[in-house]
Amino acid sequence: MIVVNIIILSVNGSRYSSYGSGRIAIFFIAPLQKTVNQSVQFLKNIWSHYFFLVSVAKENDNLKKAINHAIDKNNKYREIEISNFRLRNLLNFRKTMPNRVLVAKVIGRDRSPWFKTIIIDKGKSDGIEKGLPVVVPEGIAGQIIDVSCNYSKVLLIIDQNSAVDVLVQRTRDRGLVKGQSDGRCLANYVLRKHDIKVGDTVISSGLDGVFPKGLRVGYISEIVKRNSGMFQEVTVTPYMDFEKLEEILVVLDPPKHDFVSEQ
Amino acid sequence: MTYCFYICVCLCLVIFQTTIIPHISLFNNFYDLLVPFIIYLGLFRSARESIPFILVLGFLMDNLSGAPFGLYVTTYFWLFIIVKLVIRYLHARNNILLLFIVAAGVLMENIIFIASVSIQGPDLQFSAITIRTVIFQILWAVCTGFFFLIFFNHIHKKLEKWFNEIIAEKTKII
Repeated sequence: MIVVNIIILSVNGSRYSSYGSGRIAIFFIAPLQKTVNQSVQFLKNIWSHYFFLVSVAKENDNLKKAINHAIDKNNKYREIEISNFRLRNLLNFRKTMPNRVLVAKVIGRDRSPWFKTIIIDKGKSDGIEKGLPVVVPEGIAGQIIDVSCNYSKVLLIIDQNSAVDVLVQRTRDRGLVKGQSDGRCLANYVLRKHDIKVGDTVISSGLDGVFPKGLRVGYISEIVKRNSGMFQEVTVTPYMDFEKLEEILVVLDPPKHDFVSEQ
Repeated sequence: MTYCFYICVCLCLVIFQTTIIPHISLFNNFYDLLVPFIIYLGLFRSARESIPFILVLGFLMDNLSGAPFGLYVTTYFWLFIIVKLVIRYLHARNNILLLFIVAAGVLMENIIFIASVSIQGPDLQFSAITIRTVIFQILWAVCTGFFFLIFFNHIHKKLEKWFNEIIAEKTKII
């Protein structure tokens, strides 16, 4: 029987023949195979895609973190760049100042629209005294009005209690600049006869005994000449935006005036 | 405990309004955040407990601000007194009252400031920007003041409850 079996196998092995049964088998089995195969493929796809999505989600999270980190870093660099520019400006201005100055950072502001003061991070221990002038590259910022050990309060020139003796740079006419509630200043006691124009630069005269002479205060933005009166109403707009003040310079050795009369 | 709460809240408010708010342009015209706190004290707390704190708070603000010394003490003190007088006739928990009382407080603070500034310099001109700022402050107060009052009251009550529970537990242990 074994021998007969081997002979049949060897005869059939030389040429393929299923005698039609193959077709029947395929007819019945193949659809099942197909369905099962599709199901397996479907499950395989879900399985592989599930893991794939998890890994993608993880990758996505990592990428998001990396982007946030990069944005944060970029922002820091930009901030450094801006402050570098600002400090360079301040340094250049400092070099032009004949007086000894101290750089201070603004750490607080008065929120009231009626009073314009700031708090800086330098105080008595840094050599600051009450009454010292505060300047920025754009011009005069204000005056120290209160000093603690490490902090000081600065009255800005736009405060209503502030006054600076000034000169119109072009004509050398004098006036007294006082702060207004709208962030601008009013130059008082400018005589009607003085030929000043809108756009003229106003500088400190140095006669108030507080601010060094020649520092910019602002520019004339409006002139009103009434029909009567000795003076004209002159509005002075400071060059700097006081809302954006971040660093300032405190003049440690302002020019001193001896007002005691010699008798 | 109560004073600790007052000190913490006020420090947070003062620091927030002098350092953080100036950097947010949306809040350029925001009102003095201590006003709702003073009003909260007037509405919900006793005068004996609140007045010493209000005086200290006013003193602190006078020192931080460029205002004439004593202006904040005066403002906060009178604000507190007026709130106390108001709640004599109106119910303190009336929602309409809570909605407008902070705005009224902000208006009152600004009126006192204007009066003070006018006394110093009678030739002063109030610009459109200043008037607009005051109007915006009042609008902000109408929109947010109510929530501040509710928030202060809620936090204070929670803290008091928590503190009383701790004390009760300790007395049980003893």
